[in-house]
Amino acid sequence: MTDGGGASRTEASRRQVGMHLLGEAVHEFAEATHDYPRLLEVVARRVSETIGDVCSVMLLSDDKERLEAATFYDRDPEVARQYAFAAARSISMHEPSVARESLRSGQPVCVPKFDIQQFRERTTPESYELHRRLGVHGILVVPLRVRQEPVGTISIVRYRPGHAPLDEIDVEIATSLASHAALAITNSRLLQRAQGEADRRVKAEAALVESERLRRAEQDVVRANRFLDAIIENIPDMVFVKEASGLTFTRFNRAGEELLGLKREGLIGKSDYDFFPRSEAEFFIKKDRETLAGKMLVDIPEEPIQTARGKRWLHTKKVPILDGEGTPIYLLGISQDITERRAAQRELLEAKEAVEAANLELEAFSYSVAHDLRSPLRAIDGFSQALLEDYGPKLEGDGRDYLQRVRASAQHMAELIDDLLTLSRVTRAEMRRERVDVSDLARTIMARLQTVAPERRVEVVIPDGLAGSGDPGLLGVVLENLLGNAWKFTSKRKEARIEVGATHQDGAKAFFVRDDGAGFDMAYASRLFGVFQRLHHVNEFEGTGIGLATVQRIVKRHGGRVWATGEIDRGATFYFTLAEEVTAHE
Amino acid sequence: MSERTILLVEDNPNDEALTLRALKKSNILNPVVVARDGAEALDYLFSRGAHQGRKAGNPELVLLDLKLPKVDGLEVLRQLRTDERTKLLPVVVLTSSVEEQDVMRGYALGANSYVRKPVDFNQFVDAVKQLGLYWLVLNQRPPNP
Repeated sequence: MTDGGGASRTEASRRQVGMHLLGEAVHEFAEATHDYPRLLEVVARRVSETIGDVCSVMLLSDDKERLEAATFYDRDPEVARQYAFAAARSISMHEPSVARESLRSGQPVCVPKFDIQQFRERTTPESYELHRRLGVHGILVVPLRVRQEPVGTISIVRYRPGHAPLDEIDVEIATSLASHAALAITNSRLLQRAQGEADRRVKAEAALVESERLRRAEQDVVRANRFLDAIIENIPDMVFVKEASGLTFTRFNRAGEELLGLKREGLIGKSDYDFFPRSEAEFFIKKDRETLAGKMLVDIPEEPIQTARGKRWLHTKKVPILDGEGTPIYLLGISQDITERRAAQRELLEAKEAVEAANLELEAFSYSVAHDLRSPLRAIDGFSQALLEDYGPKLEGDGRDYLQRVRASAQHMAELIDDLLTLSRVTRAEMRRERVDVSDLARTIMARLQTVAPERRVEVVIPDGLAGSGDPGLLGVVLENLLGNAWKFTSKRKEARIEVGATHQDGAKAFFVRDDGAGFDMAYASRLFGVFQRLHHVNEFEGTGIGLATVQRIVKRHGGRVWATGEIDRGATFYFTLAEEVTAHE
Repeated sequence: MSERTILLVEDNPNDEALTLRALKKSNILNPVVVARDGAEALDYLFSRGAHQGRKAGNPELVLLDLKLPKVDGLEVLRQLRTDERTKLLPVVVLTSSVEEQDVMRGYALGANSYVRKPVDFNQFVDAVKQLGLYWLVLNQRPPNP
């Protein structure tokens, strides 16, 4: 189809073919509109194929100062390449040229019989050489214009031998192609510009979205920080953060300000040396370095600190804060003011020491009482007895009776002393807890009581396997007192019954000692366990009134309780429980 | 029997008189030497000081109070038990104290018996009678060193 200018063809048929090719070209232009570089190629190729041989598209620069080569086409790519290399890439609009002439006039310029020698002066040596070598014989330049506006030019060069000279039909078809091409190029440029605009708009929008996202993220960070600040701010302990290298404060909370009596504005950026005595500051810094070097929490149970309110004591924990690579960047400190607690502990310790000292004193006192008070009593009793034995017959009237009373009183006082010593001993004695066979303990005590008065008829009921958890010695004192009482208060019965057992009271095991002796009036039950409280007259039943107080003290030391039920002349039952754990010392 | 002396270590004159009376009432007729403090007791036992030149030989039995002037009873006991001559001498601690620690230390230092003096004189006489029967009659004492 490139031989459009064949001599055998009629003008009509050439026009027909031209129109046909034009139609195809326009179609292809439209298709390529959206792709500007391709469109330029399509234009050059179509023009070359329709009119031939080499086609170059020159476009007017934005400032309209120059025509610039956009694309070259020849069906021989080598020729197109040589053209692209040698032909003028740019033609000034200020100098005369065929292209400028055509563009300014808006008319095609056709040189059917091209004289290379004339061209020589108007072009570069490379261009001249190329045209000469190819044997160019015709040139046609058509303007590219849209509504009088210059867009560029299309240059057509014929060099192939045998290709007919350019004629009016060629010019006609080239002009038509050029007008469509100009339109397509303008459209494509508009499209490109619109596209660029749209892209810019999309990009701008995306940027806007991104900046909004960043703003939100920043807000979130601010909110999270504020949240953390609020927490740190309201922690009742001093919280501070130091940066790892210089150990200067970067953060400080309210409790810290109150503790030190300093405002954080004065603290931030400063170090311990700015506020505390040198030795204290050195200690703090030493612990900081230890924490950062070890990358581990360091606990300082007690450290003194000089504050505006005087010397305080702190319990401090120091924690290293590491970055992603594990390098410490901050030091977090949390300090609890333990001044009051520490003072209370001291007081407690002093009180404890005082109690221990008092106990030691009491022990010495008890020893004295035991030894020194009994000695004169022995003399009173012993010499009364000597008097009775040696001078009894010489005594008249109530003399012997009086001496008996002196002896009885001395012996009673000795009992009182012994019972008081036992009472004080059960309070002081170290208590251990172990499994105690209560049945066995009770039987041993009953057997001892029975040896003292073997003539008495007492039925003793003690089941096997009664067991409790407590101090064996102290539980022995409890049972001795309770069984001793039962024995004593049944002494006026011809036949008596004493029972030891266990029952359940409020979910706890309660041991009991029951007798059918003299009993007591429940109205006085509350007085049973008081020291020196007695419900019977001395001439009825002897006793010191200390035994049950001792029982209660021992049971309490075991964390249990003791109580009794009874009725006059119908006996009494004494109950006691033993908590599993010692709750408190009296 | 006249050679079989009893050494009573007692500082209280009342207790001394009562103990002597109790011994007499128990028909224990052995001679009794009374030392009125721990130092005197040691002097007697080791034949020194005021008792220098005492005829050698241990008493048959020592009745030892714990609370004594100068050297207390437990110290007397300790020294007796560390000396070869008196290591095996029967010693009965006769005292007012039933403080657990005294009883424990008394036995730990090698007391042969530990008896608390009862306030009731009749009971005291009973106790002394039993002690005398046991330590002076029934017990086979080690030969004098």
